[in-house]
Amino acid sequence: MILQKHYLQPLTVDEASTMAEKNKESFKFIAGGTDVIVNKNQGNENAACLIDLSKIEALKGIAQTGNFLRIGALEKLAVLAKNPLIEKQFSVLAEAALSVGSPLIRLSATIGGNVLCENRCLYYNQSEWWREAVGYCLKCDGDICIATQGKNACFSELVSDTAPALIALNAQLTYSTREGTHTLPLESIYTGDGVTPRNLEKNAIVQALLIPTDKTYRTFFAKLRERESLEFTSLTCCMSADENDQLRIVLSGVDPKPVVVTGNLNDDPEILITKAVKSARTVDNDMYTRKYRREMIRVYISRGYKKLKNAL
Amino acid sequence: MELITLTVNNKRYQLAVEPHDSLSAVLRDRINLTGTKTGCEQGSCGACTVFVDGLAVQSCITPVMKVAGATITTIEGIADQAKLHSLQQKFVEKGAVQCGYCTPGMILSSLQLLNENPNPDRHQIQEAISGNLCRCTGYKKIIDAVEAYVQESNGKMTAPPEIKKNSSSYKTIGTPRPYIEAEKKVRGAAEYADDVRIKNALHCKFLRSTQAHAQIISIDTSVAEKLQGVRAIITGKALPISFGVLPISQDETALAVEKTRYIGEIVAAVAADTIEIAEQACSLIEVKYKPLKAFFDMMESVNDIGENEKIHAYGKFNNNIQKKAELRFGDQQDELSKSDHRLKIDYEFQGINHGFTEPHAATAWWDENGLTIITATQVPHYLHRYLAKVLQVPMSRVRVIKPYVGGGFGGKSDPFPHELIISHLSRLTGQPVRVRFSREEVFLSNHGRHPTKMTVEMGVSREGEIKVLDADIVIDGGAYGSFGVVTSYYNGVLLQAPYKINNFGFRTRRVYTNKPQCGAMRGHGAVNSRYAVETMLDQFAEKTGLDPCQLRLKNFLSENTTTVGEYRITSNGSRESLQRVMEQSGWKDKYKKLPAGKGIGVACGFFISGSALPIHWNEYPQSVVHLKLDLDGRVLVLSGASDIGQGSDTMLAMIVAEVLGISMDKIFVVAADTTLTPIDLGSYSSRVTFMAGNAARLAAEELKEKMLSKISTVKNVAASDLHFEHEQIFTTDKSVSLTWNEAVEIATRKTGALNSSGAYNSPKLGGDFKGAGAGLSPSYSFGAVIAEVTVDAETGQVKVTGIWGAHDAGKAINPLAVEGQLEGSWHMGMGQALSEQMKYYNGLLVNSNLLDYKIPTSKDTPDIFTHIIETNDPEGPFGAKECGEGAIHPVIPAIANAVYDAVGVRITSLPIRSEAILETLQKNKHVESKPESV
Repeated sequence: MILQKHYLQPLTVDEASTMAEKNKESFKFIAGGTDVIVNKNQGNENAACLIDLSKIEALKGIAQTGNFLRIGALEKLAVLAKNPLIEKQFSVLAEAALSVGSPLIRLSATIGGNVLCENRCLYYNQSEWWREAVGYCLKCDGDICIATQGKNACFSELVSDTAPALIALNAQLTYSTREGTHTLPLESIYTGDGVTPRNLEKNAIVQALLIPTDKTYRTFFAKLRERESLEFTSLTCCMSADENDQLRIVLSGVDPKPVVVTGNLNDDPEILITKAVKSARTVDNDMYTRKYRREMIRVYISRGYKKLKNAL
Repeated sequence: MELITLTVNNKRYQLAVEPHDSLSAVLRDRINLTGTKTGCEQGSCGACTVFVDGLAVQSCITPVMKVAGATITTIEGIADQAKLHSLQQKFVEKGAVQCGYCTPGMILSSLQLLNENPNPDRHQIQEAISGNLCRCTGYKKIIDAVEAYVQESNGKMTAPPEIKKNSSSYKTIGTPRPYIEAEKKVRGAAEYADDVRIKNALHCKFLRSTQAHAQIISIDTSVAEKLQGVRAIITGKALPISFGVLPISQDETALAVEKTRYIGEIVAAVAADTIEIAEQACSLIEVKYKPLKAFFDMMESVNDIGENEKIHAYGKFNNNIQKKAELRFGDQQDELSKSDHRLKIDYEFQGINHGFTEPHAATAWWDENGLTIITATQVPHYLHRYLAKVLQVPMSRVRVIKPYVGGGFGGKSDPFPHELIISHLSRLTGQPVRVRFSREEVFLSNHGRHPTKMTVEMGVSREGEIKVLDADIVIDGGAYGSFGVVTSYYNGVLLQAPYKINNFGFRTRRVYTNKPQCGAMRGHGAVNSRYAVETMLDQFAEKTGLDPCQLRLKNFLSENTTTVGEYRITSNGSRESLQRVMEQSGWKDKYKKLPAGKGIGVACGFFISGSALPIHWNEYPQSVVHLKLDLDGRVLVLSGASDIGQGSDTMLAMIVAEVLGISMDKIFVVAADTTLTPIDLGSYSSRVTFMAGNAARLAAEELKEKMLSKISTVKNVAASDLHFEHEQIFTTDKSVSLTWNEAVEIATRKTGALNSSGAYNSPKLGGDFKGAGAGLSPSYSFGAVIAEVTVDAETGQVKVTGIWGAHDAGKAINPLAVEGQLEGSWHMGMGQALSEQMKYYNGLLVNSNLLDYKIPTSKDTPDIFTHIIETNDPEGPFGAKECGEGAIHPVIPAIANAVYDAVGVRITSLPIRSEAILETLQKNKHVESKPESV
């Protein structure tokens, strides 16, 4: 049965939840649309009802709230990258935001959308016809992973650039469901399963990202891509070191979920690098080879180490 | 349906829309504002950019419901009524507009930047337009335009438009000027194929094969036919007559007949009331296939295929080789064995797509005049022929019209299945039928540069003289012939210059594989083999201890000479080109002297100015131009030449204006309409300026003669005493002094309008051996490029930091357009060098979109320093030669040679992959490396 198409624009979170409930058979939340609509144009997203959250005021704004900097989920990447507080204190997030897509994409794309953007794979982000021709993969109801030529797991990658930056800053995510509002460490929403990469309930509405402001960090950001614009990541490496040299290394683009490795800046880098490389379940589903991307994990973390050490 | 209000360009619209309609679709299809272009439908090209409540958004990925109630400004709303916005004016003046398809998006992205930052620097401009892809300009003139606008709006007087020194006495020729249609393009008013709206047109969609090589057992269209709104469905048997741009390879049919030869081949076509219905009908068609063994590897296709079925039945051998081309002058192996220095290197090149910004589109209809088709094509004439052949109607009942075309680069230079199919569907349904490709379909149609493997051997003397060259080449043609036979020859023959090589030979084998077909692309045939030779010369420079530039200078052919294969070389600016870029780039202070990780490289090239031999053997001229002068004083120029953004309409007007001594606004160009205009063979092989330009010059001279004869009779002066200049016809002693209009009145007395005609045909050239015709041209262009790069030794990533290019274009008729062609060529070459490739998985193209097929963005493009070298060809119109393709040849090896200078890695496969550089660096450990800096 072909469901009636809808496009709804709630003004409050409650209204959005009610709309979601009413259309639970087939709905998708959308904000900037730069991810959802592209997937929709390729037939990878077929929700009959699109619920556009962008008119909900409660999801906007960047402000200090208690011990956190609260970034409303609807904040546009172009805007938050220019926020003086973020530029100054959390430059890794500004750098990550500015590395997303293109200037045009960043004018529409939101931070909430970016941390939730759908995992990607060369063998999945294709038209309906293409996926039929290749023999549907696991992520589109097929039987095997095409990229690995037969594995029974999906390795589509988390391609968010801002998620690793936020996780490096120990950010939390607040979201609401009909049951109430919840706050979680951002990294805990990612499952590691490429088919269902996030564990949030389908009706969860991400409200904000919260960055603790009781700590200051030195940070490092690097993104592997063939062109300097218009690229999803092939490896994003975000690193932070706090006053006590506690180190967080967070990678995206090399695994279905963020790869998080923690340690101390005074630890032997080799140990942490090896741990990161081992944790990343990178497969050949990108224009860069698996082997190369794994090597770049090594190079980028070493560079991050150097930078953070020198910044002492 | 939802009822919404939009305010677009200060006009309010109430519209009922489908809830998931995109803003671009509503703007284009409902409000008819077709200045907003769509190029990718995934936010990765920026052509669809509009303002929503003052902010730039990509309308193809913006649901219209999202912006309900909003205030929208499209490119059509930027000008202040009749007056262009000053930024639009700068785009016109600076030559920032070529094909014009990216222009609306570029202007809107630039305005977004200027709203945020009224005083951006060049770097910020480059950043701001990095979400907008341009394939024509290399971004240079776009950035120039924005920069000039900024300077002007800050009250700074910009340097007055640079008046290039016009060494000659020409009034129009040689003076840089914008395209005659540039204003229309910056307004978004120029109509491209998909912008043309013919009433009541049906929409066509295709069902494409999911099998690479398979017999079609059955196609069941019965369910699809019952769908409400479906008007016709056809399969292969509807159009079984084969076609192909070359008479010798008529191996393609409009739809697959009996078997499919690549994934993506059209198996069925639907004409329906809406796109959605046509799409749905396609999904209801059932095709049963019996798979055959598919061939994806070109080397496998060279070999005997045993029991398996060949991709094409014809040919006497049991392999998939389509064409063997071989020519030998001397005994190469013997000479190699005697050479002081010799090299034998294997090369591999991936396939490349043209990447024009405008997807193919067309509309066809039938009326009392037979068939008319408006289509994005470079070759109206060949399409005209094959529409007649495949649809079995006389050529007199077929009319092909080329509207504005959003780039071609060879990718629109074949007759295409979709053009034949919609023409037939329109005949069946009695209604116009339109079609528009998705970006994926553009890639599947391909006709791009052949994936290639080659082994090249060269021998050089101790003194650095090139003694011998032998190349063994295999090119992967994909499923059909296209231009492939020509490509096969060009890979070899176009190595016999710009250097003097007396002992020269090659063999090329073009094979069929079960992949989308390859064909002609900018620099046709010779790009990959040129790369091999130029990177080898770099090694010979090392071996002989010569500077790579010196080695090249030593070996250049002179002017007015012939090559070993009997090409007639007329003017030759090789030497001057190379010397110019050496000086400008500071070569002597940089080569082998830059700090580690930085390098500089050089390469040269040459190219044909049109093929001397026509594709169809006949005596018809290669280009004909008609002129008509009537009492309004305007000269109508009729030419079949196809302007696809390179500026040929402007070129024709300039030539006619020059000959007649009148201003450009007295000229009106009608081009590329097979009923109205005389035949020109099309925009390919860099032939248009040379051939159509010559035809225009001859036509204008004939018109002048006719005017002279009448005026001299009426005024009783010798025709030879009359001068045409500044819209005056006068004698030196002023005994006759007529304004243009007075002269026209005299010239048209009693007879009415004057008509004239000019025709160009290449002279008979070349040797009388078999294959002598390949690569023959009435004239050749020459050029050189020096590139500078930075290579990150830890990641292997290459960044091009500067390109200095010089190109001998004969006489630059319109230097602004010539620069644009050169800059676009260098930019495109940089893409092939570093990031572009067509990647396949079991015959299925993996990166058929503009995210994964990586055309360099503005941020990837370095400063480009452009030098036109003028040599005045004796036969070119006013001395002009080609400039649209040849410049791509040297840039790619120059980059690779610079990589070697930077990190000591030789690159033998394209694109240059960071992976490969890193691997080699690790293998070499390159410890000896070069000193940190000198």
